[in-house]
This record gives sequence, C-alpha cells and structure tokens, in this order.
Amino acid sequence: MSAPLLWILLPLVVAVALFFLRARGALVTILAAITCFVLAALALLVPVASLVEIGPIKIEIADTLVVLGRRLVLANGMRSFLALIYIMAGFWLLGSRVAQVSRLFVPFGLLMAALLVAAVAVQPFLYAALLIQMAVLVSAPMLAPPGTPFGQGVLRYLIFQSLAMPFILLAGWSLASIEGNPSNQALYTQAQVFLALGFAFWWAVFPFYTWIPLLTEQSHPYVAGFVVTMLSTVTLFFSLNYLDAFAWLRSSEQLFPALRLVGLIMVSTAGAWAAFQRNQARLMGYAAILETGFALMALSLGVGQGVSLFAQLFVPRIVALATWALALSISQRQAGFRGFQDVRGLLRRSPVVAVTWMLAYFSLGGLPLLAGFPVRLVLLETLASQSTGAALWALAGSLGYLIGGLRALALMAAGDDPWQVRESIPHIIMLVTGALVLFLIGVLPGLFLPGTTSLLDAFLHLR
Amino acid sequence: MTLMDVLSYAAFALLLGTSITLLLSQNWRWSIIALALQYLGVFWLVMISWPVGLSVVKLVTGWMAGALIGASQPAEELQDRTFTGIPGMLFRLAVALIGLILAVTAAGRLNEWIPAARPVLLGALVLIGNGLLQLGMTTRPLRVVLGLLTVFAGFEILYSTVEQSVLVAGLLSIITLGLALLGSYLMAAPEMEAEE
Repeated sequence: MSAPLLWILLPLVVAVALFFLRARGALVTILAAITCFVLAALALLVPVASLVEIGPIKIEIADTLVVLGRRLVLANGMRSFLALIYIMAGFWLLGSRVAQVSRLFVPFGLLMAALLVAAVAVQPFLYAALLIQMAVLVSAPMLAPPGTPFGQGVLRYLIFQSLAMPFILLAGWSLASIEGNPSNQALYTQAQVFLALGFAFWWAVFPFYTWIPLLTEQSHPYVAGFVVTMLSTVTLFFSLNYLDAFAWLRSSEQLFPALRLVGLIMVSTAGAWAAFQRNQARLMGYAAILETGFALMALSLGVGQGVSLFAQLFVPRIVALATWALALSISQRQAGFRGFQDVRGLLRRSPVVAVTWMLAYFSLGGLPLLAGFPVRLVLLETLASQSTGAALWALAGSLGYLIGGLRALALMAAGDDPWQVRESIPHIIMLVTGALVLFLIGVLPGLFLPGTTSLLDAFLHLR
Repeated sequence: MTLMDVLSYAAFALLLGTSITLLLSQNWRWSIIALALQYLGVFWLVMISWPVGLSVVKLVTGWMAGALIGASQPAEELQDRTFTGIPGMLFRLAVALIGLILAVTAAGRLNEWIPAARPVLLGALVLIGNGLLQLGMTTRPLRVVLGLLTVFAGFEILYSTVEQSVLVAGLLSIITLGLALLGSYLMAAPEMEAEE
C-alpha cells in the first residue's frame, strides 16, 4: 500500500466508475462525498511511511509510487494538504445536489481533485504542469455541460490556463540547467521569466484574469466556484514547491517586490471593478481575484510570517467561496436572476440565502467577526510596517469590494415583499453550516487558523 | 547547406503554409488537412532532436487529433463571426505576415536561450505566433482548439530540443488528444441532451 495509490489512484478509479453510474444522481453524489471524506479522515489520522497497527493488522503506507520511471510522492508533511483538498471536494460535491448542477459535475470534480493531487505529488515537479493541464481539460465539460449553451468564459479559461503549461515546462528545463551550471546568470533570468509567465497564467494575475468573472457569470456559479477555487488553491500551494526547493529564488531581490506589486494590482483592480459591478455572479469572480491578490501579498512578506499568513488564508477563502457559490446557485435557481436589480427584496423572499450570501461576501472582504478578518488584519498590519503605500492600496481595493457588497445589501433589503422562507431544509442546512463555519473562524481564530500552518509541513525551508 | 537543412527549411515553409491556412480557412475540410500536414512538419522538425520512433508519436497523435475533430464534421463551427469576408481575410494575412517578421527577428535572440537549429526555432515561433493570433481573433470553440493545438505544436518542437523524456512525450500526446476530444465535445455539447 502506498499513499499515492490511496489518495490519487483510488479517487481516479472511483471517479471513472461514478461517471458510468452518473444517471443515479443521489447515489453518485453520496459515494463521491464519502470517498472524499474517508480520504480526508485517513489523511488526518494515518501517518505515512510509518507502521500503523490496527489490532493484529500492521500496515505501512509507503510515501512513494513509481510510475514509468517517475515518482509520485505524498510524504507525511503533505497530509494536511490532502485533508484540505478532500474536505473541500467532499463538501463541494455533497452540495452539488442542493445546487442542482449537471450530472457530470460529481465524477469530473472528483477526477479533477485527484489529478491536482497528482500534480502536487509528482517528482520531478515539472511534470505537474502536464497534470494540471489535464485537470483543466477535465474541468471543461463540467463548465459546459451537455444541452447548455456555453459562453466565452469557458473558452477563455481554457486558453489562459493552457498557456501556462509551456512556460512551466520550460521553467523546469531552465531550473535543471541551473543545477548543472550554477554560475551562468543568464539561466537564472531565463528561469524567472518562464516561471513568472507560467504562474501569471495559472494564478490569473492582471491582465490574464478576465476569464474569471466571465466564467462565474456564464457558467453555473457553483461549478465555476469549484473550478476557480480548486485551481487557485492547488497552484498557489504548488508554487511553494519552487520557493522551498531553490534557495536562490528565496533570496531573489526581485521576487518578493514583484509578488507584492502583482498582488496589489489584483486587489485594487478587482476592488474597483467590484464597486461598479452590476452582475452578482461576476462579483464572485472579482472576490476570487481579490483573494488571490491578497495571497500573493502575503507571500510577498517573505519566508516565515508571510508564508504562514499565506497558508492561513486558504481555509477562510475556500469556505467563503463555497458558501457564496451555493447561495448564488440557489437564488439563481429560485429567481433566475442575472442582473443587479434582480436581487431586490431577496432578503425578504429568501432570508437564509441572502444572509449567508452577505456573510460570505463580507468575510472575503475582511469584515470583523468573520473568517477573513483575523488573517487579513495581521496581513495588512505587517504590510503597513513594510510599506504604508502598499497597505493603503490594499485597503482601497478592499473598500471598493465592500462598496459592491453594500450596494447589493441595500438592494436585497429593499422592497416590501412579505417575509417568507422559500429555501428547502437541505438548502438551509448547507447554507447555515457554511455561515456558522465562517462565523466560528471569525470569532475563534486562535482555535482554527494556527492549525492551518501545518500545510507548510511539506516544505523544509519555509516553516 | 546540407540536404537536411534544405528539408528542415521545407518543413518550416510547410508549417508557415499550414498555420496560415488554419488562420484563414472557412472550410473545415481544408482546416483538417492543414492540421494533418502541420503535424507532418512538426514530426520532421522534432526528428532533428529525437529518434524517429519517438518523433513519429507526434505525427500519429496529431493525425488522431485531426481525425477526432473531423469526426464531428464541424461545418458551421469554423465560420467566423468576426474578421469576415475578403477584408477580414486580408487583415488576418497581414497580421500573420507581421507575425512571420517577428518570428524571424525573434529566432536569433531565442537561440541564446534555447539552443536549436534556425529552421526549428522559426517553425516553432511561426506556429506559436499564428496559434496565438487564432486564439486572439476568434470566439468559436473549434478555432480555439485549433489555435491551442497550433501553439502546443510549436511549443513541442521547441521543447523537443531540450527534453527527450518518453514520459513527457506521452503526456503531451495525451493532452493533444484530450484537447481534440474536448473540442469535439464543445462543438456538440449545446445540442446534446441535458443531464440534470
């Protein structure tokens, strides 16, 4: 038994099996969610590469699986990451019944999660680019399900994410060349250029992020939310591999200021667009961009506190985006709205949806008592101690984003419709769970967030 | 100039012709033929760095990708909504020629980073350039897929000069086929029965 067999090949096989069973919607969803939760529980409980005794049975889960001469390695330090990915996938897939998405979502979603885990596990890690590209290809049918016209968002997503692969592969070659010839300074520049371009496409930095709001607007918001969150989580986490493996990159004078600049541009532009945005689904896209911007700013604070903040941003972001995507899906299904004015009176018509929506929105905006606030506060404080201007720009971006939320809130509260609860019981359970988690992390950050730094256990030089 | 050099430049000329055909063509049959010929050129330029047995993987994969796309008979999927008619075609041709000039200019500088023969660099850059033009000028799924296949084909020529891993070749082939399959799916998806 090996860890890659358990956390990569098993979900891959289950996903393929579920694809053929997809006509049985509820069963498929439950099986996929159970698979994810069992894998997450195993990741949390079972140590890798050491002997586990269950009664008379002794099992050792090896951390390496050799495939065609290359290694898939899921070391003990990766367990927190595995748990995060599979808990996230489990809840997202479970909610798909409530969000009423295409039948393709569950098998392809699980397949995507397994491929992305494989991407993080593969060594040498230049192969990750190929596996992430496969995950992108696999995700497209979820975004453009059968019988539904799809928009430009899917095509732009496909283009921009695909363009990352060549640059990352070339960066891998440059990095290997540096090992053979460390005195050649041109190779360092070359590797940095290739890496910068590759990650710019993966992270969807300015100006390559136009596909995100288009995708959330034109595709099912629940599916778009899953794809955007899953990809950004894995590519952000994957970038730490490079930072951990190459000392010259950690000590680069250009890297951290560049990350800060890119992050600031993303936060300020996303905030500005959000302030004037008239489409609710696009707002979710801007929230995802804003979050990536803050993650890059956290990373720009350097190894140590910066990377620790970077890791702590993952959970609040994932929970808020998942909750928002669900609320948006339910309200779209109920009212079929797209435009800004269509949310008028939503608070009275569907109070649970409206309140959860706003909690998720403002959590991503970093409002107090919500999950996004504690890390955002420390991030802005630390940023201000290094550069007041940068902190002010980040605040301005957040302010723009919050203005967009206040406009939506004003509209939701407007109108004189009678108060009613139109949400079903499963809707309420899922939404309230999301809202509670956001609130609990917000009021008890000391209980939840320090544990998330265990995501960094996989990186010897970043802790 | 050796015979090999002459043949390499001939492959570059073939790639230039096929990528421009893909950019201009409004007929899906011509596009599929151009795609098939394009992979012949890719095969030839990759063969300069790789053994024939491994290079032929590119050719077979490319032809299979063409067959997958062709099987969906995408007659209307190629008809552009933008840059239409003779003026549109002339515009595309002009931009492609500018792209060629850029490729010729950039090949010298790129040689400092990626050591490869000039026709190899030229062929790769022309494909990448014309593929990007295709991606930038269309809103049609088929053209997007053809554009991505063209960009990837150019990249694969470039990458073959620095990496000879069989596994990478295999995975790139899977991606090429996956992209073609996705293209066929995207063309058919709106007309398929909904699965909810």
